Amino acid sequence: MSDMLLQVMDVSKGFPGVQALDKVSFELKRGEVHALVGENGAGKSTLMKILSGVHRPDAGSIIYKGQEVHFQNAREASAAGIGIIYQELNLVPHLTVAQNIYIGREPRTLLGYIDDRKMNVDAAELLGRLNLDIDPAIRLNQLPISKQQMVEIAKALSRDSEVLIMDEPTSALTESEIEELFKVIHDLRARGVGIIYISHRLDELKHIVDRITIFRDGRYIATSDYAAISMEEIINKMVGRTLANIFPARANVPTETRLLEVRNIVRPGILKDISFDLFQGEILGIAGLMGAGRSELARAIFGADPIASGQVLRDGKRLKIHSPSDAIANGIAYLSENRKEEGLATKMRLNENVTMANLPAVSRHFTVISRAQELEATRTFVRDLDIRTPSLEQTVNNLSGGNQQKVVVAKWLYRDSRILIFDEPTRGIDVGAKFAIYELMEQLARRGVGVIMISSELPEILGMTDRVLVLHEGRLMATLRTRDTSQEEILNFAAGFTGAAAAPCQG
Amino acid sequence: MSNESQMAALPLAKTGLPAGTRSQRLSLDKLVIFIVLIALFGYFSMTASNFFTVRNVLTLALQTSTITMMGIGVTFTIITGGIDLSIGSVVALSGTVAVMAANVGCPIWLSMVIGLGSGVLSGLLNGMLITGLKLPPFIATLGMMMVLRGVVLTITNAMSKPAPDAFGHLGNDTLFKVSRQFPGIAYPVFIMILLALALGFFLRKTRMGRYTYAVGSNEEASRLSGIKVNRVKLAAYMISGFCAALTGIILASRMVTSQPNGGVAYEMNAIAASVIGGTSLMGGVGTVGGAVIGSFIIGVLGVGLTMQGASYFVQQIVIGIVVIASVAVDQIRYKKKLGK
Repeated sequence: MSDMLLQVMDVSKGFPGVQALDKVSFELKRGEVHALVGENGAGKSTLMKILSGVHRPDAGSIIYKGQEVHFQNAREASAAGIGIIYQELNLVPHLTVAQNIYIGREPRTLLGYIDDRKMNVDAAELLGRLNLDIDPAIRLNQLPISKQQMVEIAKALSRDSEVLIMDEPTSALTESEIEELFKVIHDLRARGVGIIYISHRLDELKHIVDRITIFRDGRYIATSDYAAISMEEIINKMVGRTLANIFPARANVPTETRLLEVRNIVRPGILKDISFDLFQGEILGIAGLMGAGRSELARAIFGADPIASGQVLRDGKRLKIHSPSDAIANGIAYLSENRKEEGLATKMRLNENVTMANLPAVSRHFTVISRAQELEATRTFVRDLDIRTPSLEQTVNNLSGGNQQKVVVAKWLYRDSRILIFDEPTRGIDVGAKFAIYELMEQLARRGVGVIMISSELPEILGMTDRVLVLHEGRLMATLRTRDTSQEEILNFAAGFTGAAAAPCQG
Repeated sequence: MSNESQMAALPLAKTGLPAGTRSQRLSLDKLVIFIVLIALFGYFSMTASNFFTVRNVLTLALQTSTITMMGIGVTFTIITGGIDLSIGSVVALSGTVAVMAANVGCPIWLSMVIGLGSGVLSGLLNGMLITGLKLPPFIATLGMMMVLRGVVLTITNAMSKPAPDAFGHLGNDTLFKVSRQFPGIAYPVFIMILLALALGFFLRKTRMGRYTYAVGSNEEASRLSGIKVNRVKLAAYMISGFCAALTGIILASRMVTSQPNGGVAYEMNAIAASVIGGTSLMGGVGTVGGAVIGSFIIGVLGVGLTMQGASYFVQQIVIGIVVIASVAVDQIRYKKKLGK
């Protein structure tokens, strides 16, 4: 299979203040899975938006099936057979699964009514082909996010796309769902579909990718057969420098001082009698599958969700936490996994977000905000965390994902918190930014801060933490010393098996 | 953390990162509508012979002060992502309450304070319905609009009552009166200016003001940042109620009577003024300055068209078109920005 499906030649695209793409090239063959990688801001998303008709290029040409194309909008691209699955879901929560899949092209009866029956039958067949156990008649918002993502994939596939663009498709999926997705991808490849696969999770590429193209800062860097390039080379080309390690060296040793004691937290149906300690200077991991209650545990400690019983002690003293502001007043910070929905005021400026949780520190006369002090504080964090922004007063919406994450981190660092709970801190951000965030955690721990890191990426748990809590369906299955445990052991507990005699893990 | 000391060691020039430029901070939107306002002013000055006279400009400012003050207040609620439909009824309520208080022998100042109190209380009630019962602001304030109107009509039997003469000073006296040619600037105009300056500063420079934007921009992120969201919302509705009550008292003072039927549909003009001024009904965006300019666009159109001989009905059409156009232009520009 060598016939060319799609060729991008010397495409450029600028936005006010940024040259997002500078004469980049890319090609896709039939029956190929071609990974496109690069750090945040490398221009991947912009190119995908051009291919799917959302943006139009300033210069360069796109040849699709041998003909130059100029898509004017997303509908034209999709009609031509280029489908895209965005990182963020583009579904209507109040419609059913089938209605979502066939939205805008519902099958009609002879009388012109929507043929609900046919739609449900077709959807069921489609979902069946993907081995998905989803009722097509169920309302979308009754499904967990991971299932919604699978619906998004089904929707794109239902259009018989010849080119399928997947932008971080696995970021919200569990291990087993990822396997399902890979099966689907293999299947599609065998049928001759060309797939452009964008992911920050470089480790998963090896399962599916044929070729890989690397972008950096809006420029084309290299294309290679996946088999002919090492992970190290990929990362070096992505960041433009050599990264010695994926994780910083853990220099500090947690102290014996109990910083936080969590006792018998219960939230009916969600958290079942959870107790643990956090020591000063410790990085404590929380592992578990999707739905195990990891974020819920963090939110309970933080006062964001009500709990039925249980208590939280800091420095041996019982805290009264009824709301996030109580938790914050006691030095606890929570960095939500959904930074856009829960972490940032995206319409507001960078400086305003950084100081949001600690405005008194830049205020005079009780309440008046000092712009100068605020900008100084912001400047410090922009420099320390290497936030890439054209100005300190840039609207946060215009920053890339990794930089947005850093803004959230800056907000809590500025608050001078003693306990920081990071919920999936590196999801959707690039290698360089990841390392910066790991380094930051390490520095915080060294300063005596207690860090809790919730993560779905086990290498990150193993690489960064001192101890790991493993949750399964709201229950604390095990508290493990990171040094003495393994990926397999953690997965065993996460899957609900107890003890060493458990069955081998199934991912 | 030792932010302060770190920062001290870091002169501005060293990192080289600019603060936002002035034009970035003063949004272009406000500049555009300000130009529209000036253009309208110029147009009417040339086409209506008596428009650009001292007397007329002073009258214009006095008339527009009503909608301006209400527009400023409602802007706070819209920025939090809400709305306040009850302010027209608050206008009637506060004026009536103040006149009644004056008529039973309260000193004038005290009766006015009581009137203001009734507005703040109404705002508090709005806010409690919205934060406590989690009602959508549209519904809560729509209900309150009806309830308050009903209360006013009931306690007055729908009859206007004259107030003591002294009650009329606030609305009818002027400052800097020179001669017939320059009758002086009316107190309500000063009050409007002071209110705009004070609330503009509050919104732009204080913590509570910042929180107002934060809550409207992302309520959950605000809550998780420790902002007491309910308190911010209560404050916004109380400010809105206060502004409407101030308007109501000034109107009652100008007429030297209570006006139980006054203020009907005023909320719509106030919301329109705010929206023309760039406030987004989605929340998180809006300024006091914008609301003032928006109010004056409506005011200038009203007076100018009247002097040109256009009927009240035609004015309604024109103002409606301006509301639609101002938001449409915004939308088109927003899309352009996204690169569509």
